Amino acid sequence: MTYAPSPPIFANWGQRAGGYLIDAVPPAVVVFIGAATRSVGLMLLLDLVALAITGYNRWYLGGTTGQSWGKKALGLKLVSESTGAPIGAGMAFARDICHLLDSLACYIGWLFPLWDAKRQTFADKIIRTIVIPA
Amino acid sequence: MPERITLFGAGAAMAGAVYPALMAHTGGQGLPCPLRTLTGVPCPFCGLTTATVAMTHGNWSAAAAASPLAYLIAALVVGTAPVLVARAGGLGSAPRSWSAAARRQTGWAMACLVALSWLFQLHRYGFLPIP
Repeated sequence: MTYAPSPPIFANWGQRAGGYLIDAVPPAVVVFIGAATRSVGLMLLLDLVALAITGYNRWYLGGTTGQSWGKKALGLKLVSESTGAPIGAGMAFARDICHLLDSLACYIGWLFPLWDAKRQTFADKIIRTIVIPA
Repeated sequence: MPERITLFGAGAAMAGAVYPALMAHTGGQGLPCPLRTLTGVPCPFCGLTTATVAMTHGNWSAAAAASPLAYLIAALVVGTAPVLVARAGGLGSAPRSWSAAARRQTGWAMACLVALSWLFQLHRYGFLPIP
């Protein structure tokens, strides 16, 4: 007896949004502290620290392991649609740049995983990535 | 699919109901449309916040003037809410995935609606040479 391959399961919008929010917390806290110091120098320095945190978390970890802190906390993984493997730090960075397109038309791209068959944002469609349960 | 539409629409309606109070309380201006901010040209989904707020406060004509697309989303929510309630109560058939053909047809229909909505918004902001 043969069985049809089971269809891939994708992370839902709530899980994805949750993961994104968790990723946003550490850099947001650092930027907030920077703004609270009311010192331009410290603010710029802490902005760079926030960028470094984002780079390490979302681009390095997210690209090389498929799991940024947010995705790891919620048991999700970012992988290539065609290979099923993590996409690498460079493509993870390119994907976040493509997220700008998700915001362009009244942020509708961010809502696309609500109804899309593969639950992808515009950025996922361009980079050809999917988010799946780890 | 009906579940997602209904839950999204219900969430949007709740957000629309409290949005003016939230903005008044925080002094916020809301989220601007990046396309309109950068280029001045509205996007197909411009007006949805205004329309949702108007609709949840009973200003039906103001909602239609801001974005007729909001009426379509509201109709979908009203139409699919009973399905969701029935399924939650154990009545009706279980949800099943749409076929590829159904998804394609729905995709084309949505693309046409989005194009019409964009024309409406371009007209609303005076980009079309018609009165």
